[in-house]
Amino acid sequence: MLTLTKDRALALVLLLIVAVMWVESGNIRPPTSWQPYGSALFPRILLVVTGLLSLLILVRSLITGPGERSAPRRSFGEWLGHNRTVFSLFVLFGLYAALLPVLGYIIATLAFLVTSLGLLLGIDSRRKWIINLAVSCTLVPLVFVIFRFGLNVWLP
Amino acid sequence: MADFFLQALGQVSSPSVLALIVIGVLFGIIGGSIPGFTVTMAILVVFPFTFAMDPVSGVSLMVGVFVGGYSGGIVSGVMLGIPGTPSSITTVYDGYPMAQNGEPGRALGIGVAASFIGTLISVAVLVFFGPLIASFSMNFRPWEITALIVFALTLVAGLSSGALLKGLLAATLGLLITTVGYDRNSNLRFDFDIPALGSGFEILPVMIGIFAFSQLMGNLEKLRDEQGKAKGVDTSVTIPYGLILKDMAGQKLNTLRSSLIGSLVGALPGTGGTVANFISYDQAKKFSRHPETFGKGTPSGIVASEASNSAVAGGAFVPTLALGIPGDLPMAIMMGVLILHGINPGPLMFEQNPVLVGAIYASLLIGAVVMVLCQLLLVRWFAKISLIPQEILVPVVLMLCAIGSYALNNNLFDIWVLFVFGVIGYLLWKAEVPLTPLILGVVLGNNLERQLFRALELDDSWMTFLTRPLSALFLALAVASVIFSLYQDRKIQQNQLRAKNLPEQ
Repeated sequence: MLTLTKDRALALVLLLIVAVMWVESGNIRPPTSWQPYGSALFPRILLVVTGLLSLLILVRSLITGPGERSAPRRSFGEWLGHNRTVFSLFVLFGLYAALLPVLGYIIATLAFLVTSLGLLLGIDSRRKWIINLAVSCTLVPLVFVIFRFGLNVWLP
Repeated sequence: MADFFLQALGQVSSPSVLALIVIGVLFGIIGGSIPGFTVTMAILVVFPFTFAMDPVSGVSLMVGVFVGGYSGGIVSGVMLGIPGTPSSITTVYDGYPMAQNGEPGRALGIGVAASFIGTLISVAVLVFFGPLIASFSMNFRPWEITALIVFALTLVAGLSSGALLKGLLAATLGLLITTVGYDRNSNLRFDFDIPALGSGFEILPVMIGIFAFSQLMGNLEKLRDEQGKAKGVDTSVTIPYGLILKDMAGQKLNTLRSSLIGSLVGALPGTGGTVANFISYDQAKKFSRHPETFGKGTPSGIVASEASNSAVAGGAFVPTLALGIPGDLPMAIMMGVLILHGINPGPLMFEQNPVLVGAIYASLLIGAVVMVLCQLLLVRWFAKISLIPQEILVPVVLMLCAIGSYALNNNLFDIWVLFVFGVIGYLLWKAEVPLTPLILGVVLGNNLERQLFRALELDDSWMTFLTRPLSALFLALAVASVIFSLYQDRKIQQNQLRAKNLPEQ
């Protein structure tokens, strides 16, 4: 059975995206009588090139095989577990983006910094908590003051 | 030009702009000295602060970061043995052993002096060649500009060593991103019935998302182990000024050669400090009477490395200002900032914004002086700052990126753009897709489409691209760069195979 390597996954995902965008490019308004080429031409050229390059990567990965691995192959669960810090940080950032308009800059940013610093630094000692709160409680108001009063930017 | 330069110098030497240059240089050195933070990240973090500034102030601040950033890598390279930026990798080869031999102050002093001279020589190159190239490229018409952009993209993609296909793919994806939203004929493309996509993506949140997330998350994965080295590092450094003057007096030719290599490499699209670093280090070793001392703490190695990577700063401005094609990744971000301030880099910039061009020259010169003073006076503090762990740095920079993206248009959608492209950038980085061609594609996409259609409106035959000599030359160079990269990829593969077949020692 064929294994799903990085290159194969990349090529397949991109081919899917190319297919979806090609269909969507059908909705672009056709050229008027005075235009030699329409607005769909440039993106379609790029879609063809992207599709061809993705196909080449796929074919090459099939010819050369999955390649050598420096690390032992992991199951999806193990892979998720190994990268849990990074994924958790992405989730925290997504939550931050969602909560920013609801809670406002000060509360949302403070919550994001305290939680993400807790995630990365750890919460198992008093020293880590002091660093965490010192960084968060200094930076959040400082950035607010710089943007609001120095740069005249209203934060949410 | 002299009048404009004096006018620009007058603006740049006002107390507020001078203060911005000092802040920029300080921040650049700090950014460069923190392992994994890089010059590009420092520029990304600072750019939101330029929104409320006039163009001269904004550009001066950014130039300060640029100059400081390229010299900052030496601090962690010498003190920790970890290059602060990729462009100071070879600095570690001799800087770290010299520090280990009890001479960290000497290593830092030599590096700073070489950085200073490298920056000055590169400014001379910029002042001399920038206007020359710009006046030559004034003759370029849409066919030539289209072909030149294609050449620049293939060159950058080809330089992604061992990954030509992925480099080309990245460049195409970058171009594709710019096709979302209304085009120049007010036709809507790829909005998928989402109203927010109608206006397309802002370049800066896309660039920050792609670059910053992949870089920061990658740092989390890679640098934790390396920062273990930082524990117990002695940051008390004294600079032996007399010895450094003596060292530099014996390095005149090496400094000049390395600075010229840096300026030249910086001027080539997509190369940047890392390539300049390796080439000049290699050349210094070849020209040296004592090549065996390289890698053991010789001043020649530090000079070659630092003079060349700092000279990239001025060199990279040449294609950016003269042609509108960024020389490297930090310059692509700089170009985004210039566009944000309503300035379109390219041949016309020298005619339309001469004072701003002069301000860039003046900021580079003043920034170089400020850099030397800051580095020599505050090196102990920079050494301490370089010990900040990634665990603290990553969330803080992510927060600053989010606020910077929001502040661009006071629009929360831009934070989502940042997030989505952050995820995409991280996944592409995991799939070993080079991100520099992608970012250059995003920066150059709109111009490429505009020039292509202008050419086709003037003459609807595609053959014109091949019948106009300069356009044909650029396209031939594009094909040649792809063929050369294929050859190089093959060579790398063969070497790897050969190495695998060798019996283990």
